[in-house]
Amino acid sequence: MQKSSYFKALTLGVLAAGAVVAAAAPAAAKYPDRPISIIVPWGAGGGTDATGRIIGTLLQKELGVPVNVINRTGGQGVIGHQAIATGDKEGYTLGTVTVEIGMMHWVGLTELGPKDYTPIGLYNADPAGVQVRADSPWNSVSDMLKDIKANPGKHKSSGTSQGGIWHLAVAGMLKTAGIDPNASPWVPAQGAAPSLKELVAGGLDIVTCSPTEAGPLRDAGKVKILAVMDTSRMKAFPEVPTLQEAAGINWSMGAWRVLAGPAGLPKEVTDVLVPAFKKVIDSKEFVDFMNQRGFPIVYKDPAATAKFMADADKNLGEIMKAVGIAK
Amino acid sequence: MDIVVQLLSTVFSPVVGKAFFVIFQYEVLFVMVAAGAFGLFVGATPGLTATMATALLIPVTFFMDPVPAIAAIVACEAMAIFAGDIPGALIRIPGTPASAAYVDEAHAMTRKGLAETALGTNLVCSVLGGLFGTVVLVSMAPSLAEFALNFSSFEYFWLACLGLSCAAMLATDAPLKGLVSLFLGLFISTMGLGIIAGFPRFTFGVNELLGGVDFIAAMIGMFAISEILRYAAATMAAPRPPQQRIGSLFKGLGRILYKYKVNLLRSSMMGTVIGILPGAGGDIAAWVTFATSRKLSKEPEKWGTGHVEGLVDASASNNAALGGAWVPALVFGIPGDSVTAIAIGVLYMKGLTPGPTIFLHQPEQIYGVFIAFFLANLLLLPLGFAAIRASSQILRVPRHILMPVILVFCVVGAFAINNTVFGVTVMLVLGAIAYVMEENGYPIAPAILGIVLGPLLEDNFITSMIKADGHLLGFFERPISAALGVVTLIVWMIPLVLFVRSRSRPAAA
Amino acid sequence: MRFNDAVLGAIVAAFGIYVIVEAGTFPGLPGQTYGPAFFPTIIGTVLGLCGTLLVVKGVATAERRPLVVWGEWVSSPRHIVNFVLVPVLLIAYILFSKAVGFILISAAILVILIRRFGGGWKAAVATSVLATFVIHTMFYKVLHVPLPWGVLAPVAW
Repeated sequence: MQKSSYFKALTLGVLAAGAVVAAAAPAAAKYPDRPISIIVPWGAGGGTDATGRIIGTLLQKELGVPVNVINRTGGQGVIGHQAIATGDKEGYTLGTVTVEIGMMHWVGLTELGPKDYTPIGLYNADPAGVQVRADSPWNSVSDMLKDIKANPGKHKSSGTSQGGIWHLAVAGMLKTAGIDPNASPWVPAQGAAPSLKELVAGGLDIVTCSPTEAGPLRDAGKVKILAVMDTSRMKAFPEVPTLQEAAGINWSMGAWRVLAGPAGLPKEVTDVLVPAFKKVIDSKEFVDFMNQRGFPIVYKDPAATAKFMADADKNLGEIMKAVGIAK
Repeated sequence: MDIVVQLLSTVFSPVVGKAFFVIFQYEVLFVMVAAGAFGLFVGATPGLTATMATALLIPVTFFMDPVPAIAAIVACEAMAIFAGDIPGALIRIPGTPASAAYVDEAHAMTRKGLAETALGTNLVCSVLGGLFGTVVLVSMAPSLAEFALNFSSFEYFWLACLGLSCAAMLATDAPLKGLVSLFLGLFISTMGLGIIAGFPRFTFGVNELLGGVDFIAAMIGMFAISEILRYAAATMAAPRPPQQRIGSLFKGLGRILYKYKVNLLRSSMMGTVIGILPGAGGDIAAWVTFATSRKLSKEPEKWGTGHVEGLVDASASNNAALGGAWVPALVFGIPGDSVTAIAIGVLYMKGLTPGPTIFLHQPEQIYGVFIAFFLANLLLLPLGFAAIRASSQILRVPRHILMPVILVFCVVGAFAINNTVFGVTVMLVLGAIAYVMEENGYPIAPAILGIVLGPLLEDNFITSMIKADGHLLGFFERPISAALGVVTLIVWMIPLVLFVRSRSRPAAA
Repeated sequence: MRFNDAVLGAIVAAFGIYVIVEAGTFPGLPGQTYGPAFFPTIIGTVLGLCGTLLVVKGVATAERRPLVVWGEWVSSPRHIVNFVLVPVLLIAYILFSKAVGFILISAAILVILIRRFGGGWKAAVATSVLATFVIHTMFYKVLHVPLPWGVLAPVAW
């Protein structure tokens, strides 16, 4: 009795399934005619994930096919970047390539570099900031640098993993100021949020993540943003000086994000993607989103992006060698 | 509706009245029910987590007002954490990591024919724990967030040590094998390219292992694949337990809740506090409260045979932790767990910038969010009830059909974690290891605990030592850290002292 | 498959030693006492000690317990095939799912296993088609999990 009712249910189910399949007729058209994946090499909840998801949603509207955002995390970005570079060359695998692509190969974690991607466009660049606790005795970057120089090894800094982008930011700043890059020892952390928490808890002295991520804690009166490592001030933090203004140091460092596909995407594909992506960047939804999160929009076309990535790669390599992170 | 709003405005304040109006709209209620049903499905499927469910909701929330957007996330999250208990109790495969701690006990109840009592207890305790966490969130968020911010790596290291001592209580009958299992888990957690070294450890040249062994894939393998292997090798068909139809799921629950009211309160409190601490969430809350309950139980001899007591504690605590996790998220923009990490993004997008001022600038929005929390937990009752009723039918599907289908579910779940077949490989390898372990009396739970706590333990130890310039006394220099350290050492000493005394007594006699 | 404690103990101890040796090759952190090798070394040491204790315990009981007790299923060819089939099918999925596609592989796994576990042809085929369709729809369509199409890519829906 029980068995036969199970069969009846199965038969019905099979019939229903068949009907749905038959209703969906296969379609063949020019690019894009099936779902596109955007691979994000970083975890859900972070800035790259958030920007990747809004781009996915808006690109879907623009292209008329589903655009799925896929997190491929691990190995500090190596695994996700690998997945983008080895994706299909028909334009159905794209990804958000981040600044780490210009860093990982210098320390021998991977062979991948900017040459392994076809850029669709740069869309964001976030300068590093210098954050300290609100009750810190330092009121400017020059106070801070003087103290670090006088007491090497005493003041700890953090923001990301060992040898990560924000580690490079602080090491490069110290070196440019004529101080030993290891004078402020680096405390590895999972990311900006945990290290800011540690900063407030009193376990650290300096966090060099993007000021965007420190915004709420600054508003809560827990941290001070002493400077941004850029040539000009940030729109979201107009009162925060640049390093040049604060301490006379000519040093910029920041994270950036590029939408890209694997190397060798055909022209038919880029001819569709590049204008569609430009439209997304200019759309009100994207601009509103980026402003609300405090992410600066920086757009460059594919050719300019390729040059930007190659230059960044060279500079990062030189700095990493100079401060002793790469050999 | 107007009358209700007026009434609330006079009784509480105009803000609360307005907030009710924001929530009690058909669209909002519909969104919550839909998101809740989605959460139930995701939570009940091994390999799909509350984090993933939330990430998938993001594109949908782009087009919503702020309060419905947050309400959807909260409803989805609360349901997912409860739903993880369902496959755990029915087929001994936890749906989410937060259910892994008590899966054996819940399944033992199913084998006794008490599946409905087990799941009913899970459901009602989840609701009560969730409500408790919400009350704490609503009433004390700012001051508690302030407290949580005082925790640095020194304090977290001691918390992780306390968590490890749970393993001792999970493997009472085979302490040596339990220790091997725990350290195997800790070893697994060291694999990959960690944040500490920037150097790949134990990757055997496999590129995919740079990301380490994913905890969810490991969990599916160790519970589900080992179970399927056991089924394939079983020469004698396991007898199917006739399930008691108690008519109403909730019958007899009153007595259970009354009997364990102290457990319920204690574990809701512990769960909320653990949730508030950034980096520790519902998973850890469930382990800790389950082990504590066992230690303090008046009937320790019943544990392991399908005893309901631990279910009360762990179900209440993992749902209580959800409310807790929102405390630092709303007040300081620091996520309490991975779900709130995504939710913070939504808050920003909707112009609800997290920070202490969120309570001043947008009170009706934030009270709307609070009401959504209450409502989500109450909605859990009918939706969860329906889910239990529907899913308990799977016990009637013949096992020779059920097991292969579960296998395919596990494959897809392991694939979905990072969208790579490497997850399937991890699942297979650890499933085979777990099969051999269980056949030989090595408990699985301590290994899972080791994988969960390993990074917390190591990262916080190493970073603390960098900060303290390598002086171990640094762990006792901060007041909270010193207190936690002393508690940990005492907890570790007790079994040792008892052991020595029990050894010396027969000799003296 | 029950082993004498000494057998698994020896494996655990050997593994512990391997972990310690491997950890010895990890570079330290500049200027720090505790580096990436610290925790693995502790883990290896504890595993080594536990393994040794298990060997001692196992040797003491060796007269009563043989080194390996194979379960009953080892004398039943049907169960050996069933047992080996689970990992074999999973390995087949790992190797071929990208090329062949989720739908075909999943359907095949289900038919083979249900038949082997004692189901009839009708139940096997019907369950396989229905379960594959439902799982594919839920994960691919609803949850956006990029399950591969493989050879079915031209007719993807």
